[in-house]
Amino acid sequence: MKRAHRHLGLTLGLAAGLATACSGPAPQAPVGDGAPAPGGTVVIGGLGDVMTWNPYLAEDQTTDEILSLVYPSLAVEQVDYHDHPPSFAPGLASRWEHSEDGLELTFFLDPAARWSDGAPVTADDVAFSWRTQVAPEIAWLGSDAKGSILEVAAIGPKTVRFRFDHAYPYQLMDANEGLIIPAHAWGGIPYAAWRDLDWAGRVVSAGPFRKASHRPQQELVLERNPDYWRAGRPYLDRVIWRPMPSQVGLLAQLLTGGIDLVNGLDPADARRVAADPRLRLVSFPDRGYSQVRWNLRRPFLSDRRVRMALAMAIDRQAIIDVVHLGHARPAVGPVLSTMWAFNRALQPVPHDPAAARRLLADAGWADSDGDGSLDRDGDELAFELLTNSENDLRQDICLLIEANLARVGAVARPRFVEWGTLLALESAGDFDAIVSGWIEPTLIDLEPLWHTAPPGEPTLNSVGYSNPEVDRLLEAAAEAATFEQQKPLFDRVQELIVFDQPYAFLAETERLVGVSSRVRGAVFNDASPYFNLEEWHVNVARQD
Amino acid sequence: MARIAIRRLATLVPLVWLVVTLTFLVVKLAPGSYADTLDHPRLTPEAREALRASYGLDRPLGEQYLRWLSAAATGDLGGSYLYKEPVSRVIGRALPPTVLLAGTALLLDLVLGLLLAMTAARRPYGWVDRLTGVLGLGIYGMPSFWIAGLLVLVFALGLGWLPVSHMHSVDAGQLSAQGRLLDLLRHLVLPAASLGLVGAAATARLLRSTLLEARASRFVLAARARGLSRSRILWVHSLRPALLPAITALGLSLPMVVSGSVVIESVFSWPGMGMALWRAAEARDVPLVMGLTLVGAAAVIVGNLVADLLYAVADPRAREER
Repeated sequence: MKRAHRHLGLTLGLAAGLATACSGPAPQAPVGDGAPAPGGTVVIGGLGDVMTWNPYLAEDQTTDEILSLVYPSLAVEQVDYHDHPPSFAPGLASRWEHSEDGLELTFFLDPAARWSDGAPVTADDVAFSWRTQVAPEIAWLGSDAKGSILEVAAIGPKTVRFRFDHAYPYQLMDANEGLIIPAHAWGGIPYAAWRDLDWAGRVVSAGPFRKASHRPQQELVLERNPDYWRAGRPYLDRVIWRPMPSQVGLLAQLLTGGIDLVNGLDPADARRVAADPRLRLVSFPDRGYSQVRWNLRRPFLSDRRVRMALAMAIDRQAIIDVVHLGHARPAVGPVLSTMWAFNRALQPVPHDPAAARRLLADAGWADSDGDGSLDRDGDELAFELLTNSENDLRQDICLLIEANLARVGAVARPRFVEWGTLLALESAGDFDAIVSGWIEPTLIDLEPLWHTAPPGEPTLNSVGYSNPEVDRLLEAAAEAATFEQQKPLFDRVQELIVFDQPYAFLAETERLVGVSSRVRGAVFNDASPYFNLEEWHVNVARQD
Repeated sequence: MARIAIRRLATLVPLVWLVVTLTFLVVKLAPGSYADTLDHPRLTPEAREALRASYGLDRPLGEQYLRWLSAAATGDLGGSYLYKEPVSRVIGRALPPTVLLAGTALLLDLVLGLLLAMTAARRPYGWVDRLTGVLGLGIYGMPSFWIAGLLVLVFALGLGWLPVSHMHSVDAGQLSAQGRLLDLLRHLVLPAASLGLVGAAATARLLRSTLLEARASRFVLAARARGLSRSRILWVHSLRPALLPAITALGLSLPMVVSGSVVIESVFSWPGMGMALWRAAEARDVPLVMGLTLVGAAAVIVGNLVADLLYAVADPRAREER
């Protein structure tokens, strides 16, 4: 199974909100203007903190994002996936080339790259990083990206070769997955001891910033890495993170000038940010979409006509207007409409309660006892609609859906449970319907969600969807050697899934960023909250 | 008095064991585990299973409990899933901020409560007494997180006098020692007030009643007959007996301060045991929840012991009776 890039719970709820003038996935213009000047500090607020300084022990996204400023990656994925798969810009590797048979990929590292302790960044570091990524003792969360890599060998001090078991479209993406760590500093430590070590004192940086200080849950300070090999970068002297446990605290700090940036505002908070002349509101599609997951094992939900009728009864525009305050788009199917692989012939399911009633009548549902709700063979068309209690937006969506479905005679009973409970119920198949969300990866892999799940194995296909034609198409897509071969297969898969409606696809969400107007040069996109942090600069004259 | 202390300390171990065992059962019997709560885009079901195994979460419940208990008996509280470091280190880092916050809140509770009670008791049923009575009851009826919200709204967002959150300002490390202390005190005001005001309102009402009772007692009548001033009667003769129930109430308010700090520390990003417990409970970080509960339970029990000993110091009859 390929990477699922599941995005869990609360985070999506916070992101699934609003935006102002929203751009597509094409590169955004940097915020602010003025010539860059070195110096200054930016203070960033967030809900998370760095939990470990070893990227291969990280189990949360905040740690990954911040450590990507400290440890380098071979290449930098670009946000240009609308018309073609994402391209890559040079990172630690200044260039790379494929072998003629497509089985080898060779990276040429930047000759100037070195660690903050003065040691050069070498091909051995890349090979050591790969050994760590696939080490069973480490159990790195991203290790499935390395499943097709047979060997990573240093063929020169600055040249490293990846050998694959077959040629496929995502070789560069898979090779690039994971940060490069220092072999000379960490290579002598047995993997068995890694989980017991304090890594805070062992940080050696080759990124634009290095660790200055860290008081967990209070303040993390990164300072400019003077040994960074890109001349003149970064501009900022320091970046400070101030973790806070609640969104309310983040907004208060942003409004009072305590922090310069919050990435992921609630829709309701965004209005206050937009109204503040000292702040700017930026929005962009965040590759997230919300959906109702129907449990296809339930007899009444196994009927495609019922699922389609329920989908038609849901007013997506009301969800977008009321819950997301206009900052979302109707979702169409399992591939986001901003992606190159999206089947542009498809349209969102229309909101049509009359057609929904007809479909339900065709399926044998009628209000035989005159109580206002539909029934069949003595069973009422009623079910539990679950979501996680930490997510206010999803709870609002549940309430709207409850009202929508009541108009066609279906009874949805919203129930809000804690996130761990929701996951346990979902993985046990003990649910009727769940309002939830996914963040889609830029690597299009529909197999984990939509291929028939092998019995007894953990799966993301929690709804129990099974369509032999979809299975066959997904297996063919997995074997395809090029993106061009994959596209028609993906198009057909989307047609089938939209026809089957195992999910009611609700809304494609946007991310909202509140940023102080003194921060300039920042590009905000869904690749990373700190996509071009080395290019950020501040108006030093206004610096405290 | 030594017997009281020994007897109470002897109950410490079984009580703490009971609390941590119940906590373990509650946390473990709730659906899901640490691996289930992770918010990571690369977390596939297979990775989740591998993670569960790496933390020993795939072992039987009884085995997990016995492993934790036997290690804890030797002082090893295990490693935090969330923070990737020993639980003892997380607690060691979180304990001083909580002691500072809870200590300040208790001091505020006692001092403000005492001052309000003394003021009210000087002129019973006068306008000051009525005003403090109404305000006190109003505050006592408010949950501490709501008071916190009000204080932030007025003093941080509205007036801009005090910081919204955290224990220090950005760059506090570059201030002088005096500047750092002042900065810390500024950050302490709102969380300590949020935590201490409710207790102060309760203490004020309790002390006022006992002071009024003391006023009617024979020894106060005798003091009046000797011509002592009203202030001397109040501060010297009435206060000591009136303090006895307040000492008991203060001991009883310890659990409220400990539990209240979970919410207040989270509201103000105060890096204490309450915030650590909040995050640990959210993440199902069982070793950390257990470690924090153990320390919290022990603190409450010891705190009540101290209150009992103070009671015995203040009232010789208590020593004799026990």
